[in-house]
Amino acid sequence: MAKNDLSKITSAENPVVVKAPFSKRVVRPVLRHLWLAFLSFIWLIPIVWLFVTSLSGYPGINTNHFFPQTWSLANYKKLLFQPDTVVNFPAWFKNSMIIGIFTCLISSLFVMMTAYAFSCMRFKGRKQLMSFSVTLGMFPGVLSMIAIYFVMKMIGLTNSIVGLIVIYSAGSGLGFLILKGFFDTISVSLRESAKLDGASELTIFLKIVLPLSKPMIVYTIISSFLNPWMDFVMAQLMIRSKNPKNWTVAMGLYNLVQKTLVGKYFSVFCAGGVMVAIPISILFVLMQKFYVQGITAGGVKG
Amino acid sequence: MEEDKVSLAGYFKDFGRAVKNGNIWTRLSLIIMGLGHLANGQYIKGCIVTAVEVLFAWVIALIGGTYWPKLSTLGTVQRKESFDPVTMTKKVNNFDNSLLILLFSIVGIVICFFFALYYIYNLKQIYKVQQAKEAGGHVNTFREDCREMVNGKFYVTLLGLPTMGVVLINVIPIVFMTCIGFTNYDIDHQPPTYLFTWVGLKNFQTLFTSSVSDSFGYVFIRILIWTIIWAVVATFSTFFGGIFLAKFINDKRTKLPAMWRTFFVITIAIPQFVTLLLVGKMFGNNGIVNGICSQIGLTDFLENIGLVSKGLGYIPFLSKPGWAHVMIILINIWVGVPYQMLSATGLLMNIPTDQLEAAKIDGASERQIFWKITMPYIMFVMGPSLVTSIIANINNFNVIYLLTTDYTTTNMRFATSHGKEVDLLITWLFNLTNNYSNFKMASVIGIITFVICVALTLLSFSRLVRGDREEEFQ
Repeated sequence: MAKNDLSKITSAENPVVVKAPFSKRVVRPVLRHLWLAFLSFIWLIPIVWLFVTSLSGYPGINTNHFFPQTWSLANYKKLLFQPDTVVNFPAWFKNSMIIGIFTCLISSLFVMMTAYAFSCMRFKGRKQLMSFSVTLGMFPGVLSMIAIYFVMKMIGLTNSIVGLIVIYSAGSGLGFLILKGFFDTISVSLRESAKLDGASELTIFLKIVLPLSKPMIVYTIISSFLNPWMDFVMAQLMIRSKNPKNWTVAMGLYNLVQKTLVGKYFSVFCAGGVMVAIPISILFVLMQKFYVQGITAGGVKG
Repeated sequence: MEEDKVSLAGYFKDFGRAVKNGNIWTRLSLIIMGLGHLANGQYIKGCIVTAVEVLFAWVIALIGGTYWPKLSTLGTVQRKESFDPVTMTKKVNNFDNSLLILLFSIVGIVICFFFALYYIYNLKQIYKVQQAKEAGGHVNTFREDCREMVNGKFYVTLLGLPTMGVVLINVIPIVFMTCIGFTNYDIDHQPPTYLFTWVGLKNFQTLFTSSVSDSFGYVFIRILIWTIIWAVVATFSTFFGGIFLAKFINDKRTKLPAMWRTFFVITIAIPQFVTLLLVGKMFGNNGIVNGICSQIGLTDFLENIGLVSKGLGYIPFLSKPGWAHVMIILINIWVGVPYQMLSATGLLMNIPTDQLEAAKIDGASERQIFWKITMPYIMFVMGPSLVTSIIANINNFNVIYLLTTDYTTTNMRFATSHGKEVDLLITWLFNLTNNYSNFKMASVIGIITFVICVALTLLSFSRLVRGDREEEFQ
């Protein structure tokens, strides 16, 4: 946008500005946008680098040139069609997808159930149970990982996708706080009148509370779907297989940047990053919309 | 919707009353839990309850018989392999596995705990039905009981499965790891080959003392200080950075706010571990930033003014203390500000406009409005979440772990305790368990991290936990 345009718009909106000195009229808006452009530049540089490196013909980390010297689609080809001893993206994607879908089903169900019980029902020990859950959530997860591994071994679920699904979804009941906060904002009189009409709690849950919380529920569902895509520590601990066929996306990509492999696979890693980012960003944009809706619809709470 | 106050004394008093005033069937239910139900005419329920009791007895006989007697020593018979020349095979003696003993004992105790709750509840239930029956009241049929499960007792149905999951994935592992802190489970005492046993508070002593051979005390204090600095700085920098950025973008003098916002949001959309690994490689010793810095002569300049030691040839962005600390915080700002900007954007749009208008009419300057109205409002709404994010940052594993994969410490005292200057308590303990099998010290560090988090919460966050004000919104 040219400087003149800018000043015209500002002056049209705000007649006081016309009398303001040149510096206030022109320099400040320009500085403001330059500053924003500079910040955006910093924030976007790694993303751009990820993208251009994924198209690089050189497999390792390019030290001296930001843009690759040779361009090629070989990394994507390798990722999608040429599985080898460390790369098998289609299988990773499939595994992560299965884990994501099941985790998302189970854990969003759990979250909705606990949130409803804690928000809409009154029973003995409710507050104690809530305090207990919140406290439990504060225990460093990294520490219990190794114990979770032993527990899973006890049930015989190590080295399997089922085990990972159990791990990601079983404890999800603890994450009820956000949704409970939203349920709290649904008026009591609505539920009371339904009860007077003879509706059971189950009916109220399914027919009144859930439909009213649609945006928050979409948020819960998407975020629980995304969760297993990001985790590599627990997955690595649980899946000891050396065959990349059995890995998840996060595990596989993390493995590619280990010291021994990074020289040969860095650009493949970048291509993988771009490939995961596409579906995730679509979901993310959706989720963001619903989250903002949920928060604003629920009113701001102190 | 009156909520009964729960007191432990009252809880047991009710139980006592049920035992004292119950008829013979109710009292017999102390032994066979279903009898009372049968006597009250609830046949199916009576059978189910008795079946549960039998199952419990069977499980406890299995676990209790095998593992509980050994809990006090965690096993005494070490694994021995001997070669049997007659059958030409290796024979392993009937050894104890400390790990399994501890784990199964805990599982048994947890099962007992839940059974005890159910046992007491069951007896009270029977007493209630007995009273109702005596008064000529209605006794629920099995069908009605089932219907009650989706109505008045719906919370039981709702919380049942999630609770089981939490017990399996959270409670049992946490209790188990906490117990490990009081044993000598480390690389020299690894089951199944070796046994470990209880050592009391010795590991806590190790953590708080520092001697020539043992540097845990020194490293612990250093890492604790850095963890606290990190948590506070990381939280506040992204918090205020996000608010200022949101304010800046949403200002009416900024053109195309949606476009600018998108630029920042893009960075969130890429999975965090990808961006962190990527940025880590960018700032690596042989990374592109170093390549460019040496091309434009920045490396030489920094060597000359002494910020980089002479002859290094690169800027140790993520590989030397000091540099790495600053870089980690800067990179975390890069990671965290877009998130904070998004939630602050939502908030800024929600600020009650009447206050802003009133202030404008009174002639308040924009700066005054921001500091006197906008900021207090944001602090009011987001204040409690600050504590949560400080705790989240104390446990922020990913940022530190992924950025410092190539970091090696040169401080001998750190090296002997397998710590790094840039470690948080959480990454230190991960390293201890994962690479050095030092479970006992990891557990102690974990317990202390937990205590710090709980203390922080109790200090300032109790209102969310107590859920006091929820009715106000409803």
